[in-house]
This record gives sequence, structure tokens and C-alpha cells, in this order.
Amino acid sequence: MAGFLIRRVGQIIPTLLFVSLLIFGLQQLMPGDPALILAGEERGDPLVLAQIRAELNLDRPLHEQYVLWLFNVLQGDLGFSWRIREPVAKVILEKLPVTVQLGLMAFAIACLIGIPAGIISAVKKDRPADWVANGVALAGISTPNFWLGIMMILLFSVNLGWLPPSGYVALTVDWRQSLATTIMPAFVLGTGIAAVLMRHTRSAMVQAMNQDYVRTARAKGLAERIVVAKHALRNALVPVITLGALELGTLLSGAVLTEQVFTIPGFGKLVVDAVFNRDYPVVQGVVLVVAVIYVLLNLAADVLYVLINPRLRHA
Amino acid sequence: MTPLLEVRDLAVSFATDEGMVRAVDGVSFSLAPGRRLAIVGESGCGKSVTALAIMRLLAPNARAEGSVRLEGEDVLAVPDSRMRQLRGGKIAMIFQEPMTSLNPAFTVGDQIVEAIREHSDASPSEARAQAIAWLARVRIPAPERRFDEYPHRLSGGMRQRVMIAMAMACRPSVLIADEPTTALDVTIQAQILDLMRELSEETGTAIVLITHDLGVVAELAHDVLVMYAGRVAEQASVQTLFRTPQHPYTVGLMGAVPRLDEEVARLATIEGAVPSPRAWPPGCRFAPRCPFVIERCRTEVPPLAEVGPGHVAACIQAPLDRFAAAA
Ligand SMILES: Nc1ncnc2c1ncn2[C@@H]1O[C@H](COP(=O)(O)OP(=O)(O)OP(=O)(O)O)[C@@H](O)[C@H]1O
Ligand code: SF4
Ligand SMILES: [Mg+2]
Repeated sequence: MAGFLIRRVGQIIPTLLFVSLLIFGLQQLMPGDPALILAGEERGDPLVLAQIRAELNLDRPLHEQYVLWLFNVLQGDLGFSWRIREPVAKVILEKLPVTVQLGLMAFAIACLIGIPAGIISAVKKDRPADWVANGVALAGISTPNFWLGIMMILLFSVNLGWLPPSGYVALTVDWRQSLATTIMPAFVLGTGIAAVLMRHTRSAMVQAMNQDYVRTARAKGLAERIVVAKHALRNALVPVITLGALELGTLLSGAVLTEQVFTIPGFGKLVVDAVFNRDYPVVQGVVLVVAVIYVLLNLAADVLYVLINPRLRHA
Repeated sequence: MTPLLEVRDLAVSFATDEGMVRAVDGVSFSLAPGRRLAIVGESGCGKSVTALAIMRLLAPNARAEGSVRLEGEDVLAVPDSRMRQLRGGKIAMIFQEPMTSLNPAFTVGDQIVEAIREHSDASPSEARAQAIAWLARVRIPAPERRFDEYPHRLSGGMRQRVMIAMAMACRPSVLIADEPTTALDVTIQAQILDLMRELSEETGTAIVLITHDLGVVAELAHDVLVMYAGRVAEQASVQTLFRTPQHPYTVGLMGAVPRLDEEVARLATIEGAVPSPRAWPPGCRFAPRCPFVIERCRTEVPPLAEVGPGHVAACIQAPLDRFAAAA
């Protein structure tokens, strides 16, 4: 296992280097001279421009710029936001906890609903419970998040007055308020993913339940509950984990529409604002952070895989 | 004396898109303690379905009728909870595909321990010791180390030994083995058959061996039940059946016995194909392929009749000896 981990982490490094090259390359393609933009009022003064160029290393050859940029990134320096006029790293660090909290809550809701529903509908295949679960899942997949969000606000905030309609309170400030402000968007995001997880869990479980080892487990005299929850589920979870990691990655890269509907100041809103204002350093910073999150989640999924499926341990 | 396992008029039907299909029709046999009965027949004749019906492991679209008594208890009627005690406890089963019959996600040791603990009060450490002893008994080298191994690390033959250890670990009175050696190569086949014979002699466990290979029958069984198209064609002791087969189908099978040292196309010499349960021929189901067929065969269902002591056959023309005498 230790050897596997070392090898797997080793494989990540080239991936991350590639990602960094890509992001750096995109940066070069972006329109507009950063020095001109940063200079603002003083953009007519060649001395100021030269000074800014020197500060940003824009006067060096590209490969040197890349190495310097990478070096900065590794030290946590992601550049400077043109619009907010603050370090990108600081801006991202402010928004990241919001998105992570919302993403994890949504993911937990998705797993708690999607996986058990998938198991039940696989076990009750072609019977009423399966039809109901499939119908609800289809409804879940085809309901746009923003619409579900608006409906929830109308019901729980406007009519019932149970939950605040929008805004965000940090966990560290007041955890109750924080949960109250995030539960609706988390539910909206979570149910959409629950539907996808449910369908994947169902098909993986249907397949597992038809395997010979399930018949062996029954032939031993095990209770059906153990046959399902131990023998079949353990094998069915493998494809579900991959999907789960991808979905969690999507959640952690910010849910633009849902954040807009609930006015949650997370990644989604940050990116949209940055794109509309051509605040490229922020866009890049977010892309970089999201890419790293994806790579790490993939690693986590691989490790889980191997824990569940011993055949891969020697591969 | 009540037999250990008694099957009477077992019939199994499946609900399919084309309506109810009866795959097994009126199968009866009984098994005394310590005896080894082989069920033989071509692919699709209902051997596995018969075995799974006895274990009550048929697919949900199946319906089993008739009676299956295990030590007097009506297996088809007991509640599920009792059935789970019987399964693995009194009647165990191993399957054709050792590669897929073990769960890839658990060590072989865990899977044996699970069976032991399901049917006894053994503590985890006792169960572990018993499992290791069984691994040794089925001649798996270095059993302590193998205990912690995952199935994918073992060869097909080793996995079938694990399956046997798992099935025998709860000391069942009957072991059903559905083509346990078909997927293995010839030398391993012989070893597994030896092992099964030896274990059955030592423990007194009776065996129902399902095979389509008469070589395997000769190797292991006391008695043989020949099935054709969901019905019993003939039943006798191994010696009687091999010496004086009385059903044309059995005679056909004999002509196609593969030798253990050769890869012979099995049972290929009987002309024609096995009919499908969706369209059984009327009268004798073997009629379309039978060299002895007469007009009556196509309309009358031949009853299973005594053709000698402890020897029954379902053929209008039986006994066939008179043809041999005339020739
Ligand atoms: N779940 C099912 N639904 C419909 N038909 C089935 C089902 N299971 C088995 N059958 C049919 O029952 C018949 C007997 O099958 P069975 O598996 O018992 O054959 P077998 O004698 O074991 O053959 P083999 O040597 O190939 O294992 C086949 O025609 C098969 O198609
Ligand atoms: S009854 Fe007729 S068709 Fe059937 S096996 Fe006997 S001789 Fe052949
Ligand atoms: Mg079979």
C-alpha cells in the first residue's frame, strides 16, 4: 500500500506540471497588456510601465517568466487582481471555505440520498420501489437547479419563513446561521447529484447482484441483508467512487447559478465576476486551484479504489 | 430408513416473455448418507436448475413444485430463516466457475470464516484456526499464508479447493457440486475429484455431482441419474449403467465418453441438438434424435419403468438388450 501511494503521488507531479504549463500558456494568449491595465491613470508614463514590467518580470524571456511564475505559485503567490487590487491568493482563500462548505454539504446530501436509493432500487429491480426511485431520479436530473432554488426560497423563506432567502454566514462566525444559509443551496446541488449517483449505484448493484460470488454468499446461508450490503455493495462501489470524485470536483469548482440564486459569495460568483471584468489573474488562480483539487480528488478516489478492490493493489 | 435427501416429482418453471417454460419436469431421486450420485446430461437439460431448486437459489422468475426432503424436512416449504440454516449448514454447494465464485474483495480466509461463523458459535480465532485446518485439508500449501490472500492471487484449481474447504467447513451432510471440474485443466480435474472422493469418505458427506462428462462419473459416483430435456432418462448404479445402459440416450452418451487424457469434443456424437424448453417435442423428448424411434414414441410419454434391480429407464423400447441379441 505504501509503495502504491508513493508511486501514485509521484505520478501526480508531471500532471500538475502540465497543468501549470497550460495555465501559463493561456495567460500569454490573453488580450491586453497587464502593465497597461495595472498602470491605470498613469498608463501614459513609459517609466511607470517599465517599472511595472520589471516587477512582474514581463521584460524577461518566456521560459524564465514561467519558472519565476511557478516559483511564486509554489510559494502561494498567485499574482495580483487587476480589479479588486488584492493578491489573488487572498481573494481565493476568502472564497474557498464558502465553496468547500457548500460543496461538502451538497456531496453529503447526494451520497446519503443517492447511494441508498440506488441500492434499494437495484434490490427491488422492476418492482414499485424501483419505479418510484427511477421516476424521482429522472425528475431530479431534469429539474434545473436555479428553478428548484427559487421554488425552495419561495416555500421555505417567503411562505414559511423558516430559512433566510439569501446571504452567507461563515461557520466560524455562527455555525447555526451558517448551516441555515447553506442548507437550501446544498440541497439543491445535492439532489441533482444524488439522482446521478443513484442511477450509477443502481446499475453497478444490479450487475454485482448477478455475479457468481453473490450466489456463493447465498449458498453459505448468509442473510440477504449481508449478501447485499457486504458482498455486492463492496464491489459495486468501485465505479460509484470515480463518479463521486468527479461530482465532488465539479461542486468544489463552484456552482455558478446556484450561488447566484442564493447570493452565496463562493467560487462561482468570484469566477463570473472575474470573467465579466476581465480580471484574468483571478480567473487563472481559480483555474489553478480547481485543477489541483481535481487531481487530489482523483488521487483520493484511486486510494479508495485500492482499499476496496485488492486486485488493483499489485497492478 | 429415511434417505438423507429425497427429491420427488420436482418440476421447475420459469416465467419468461414467451410464457411459463418448464425446464425441469418430474425429476425424482433419493440419496443415502455417504453416497455419491452423479447427474449427467447435455447442456441445457436442467442439471443446474435441479440443483439450484434443491438449494432454493433459483432466480426470482422460477417456480419449483414437487417435494425436496432433507432428513425429512420439506426444503421447499420451510421458512427463509430455516432455509438459511440449512444452506451451508446441512447442504452446501460448489459451482463450475472457481474464478468468479469467490468474492474478489475479501480474503479467502475471511470468506471461509464467514461460513463457519454463520453456522456455529465459533469465536473469530477458533473460526480462523478451523479455516486454516480446512485449507490444509484440501491440500493448499502454506495455508496460514494463503488464509490472508485474495482470490485473484490463486489459480483456478486452488480457488476450487478454497470453495470445497468453505463448503465442507460446516460439515454438511450433502454437498452439491455443479460441474466442479469443467473449468479446470485435466490434471487438476483428477486431483479435485480425488480430493472430493477422499473428503466424502472421511466425513461421510454425501455428494450430488453434476457433470456432462461420463469420465468424471466413473471416477467418483456410486449411482448415476441421466437427464434428458428436463426429465430423468435413466437411473442405475455406475456399474450397471456402464455395463448395460437401457436408454438409447445413455447408449449415445457412452459412445461419446471423453477419455480423461484427451481433449475430446464432449458428447458430440449424438446427432441433432437438444430441444429447447420453449418447444419440447411431444411424446418422448428424445424421439427426434433417437435411432430406435418408433411411431408410438412421438405421441406417448414413456414412463420411468424398472428394467432391472435398482435400474429404471424411460423408454418404450427398453430393455434394449433384445436389439443387441438380435444383432
Ligand atoms: N432464470 C431462468 N429463466 C428462464 N429460463 C431459465 C432460467 N434459468 C435456466 N433456464 C433454462 O433452463 C434450462 C436448463 O438449464 P440448466 O442451467 O439447468 O442446464 P444445465 O443442464 O445445467 O446445462 P449446462 O451443462 O449448460 O450447465 C435451460 O434451457 C435454461 O435456458
Ligand atoms: S421412447 Fe422411443 S424415442 Fe424415446 S428413447 Fe425410447 S425408443 Fe427412443
Ligand atoms: Mg449447469
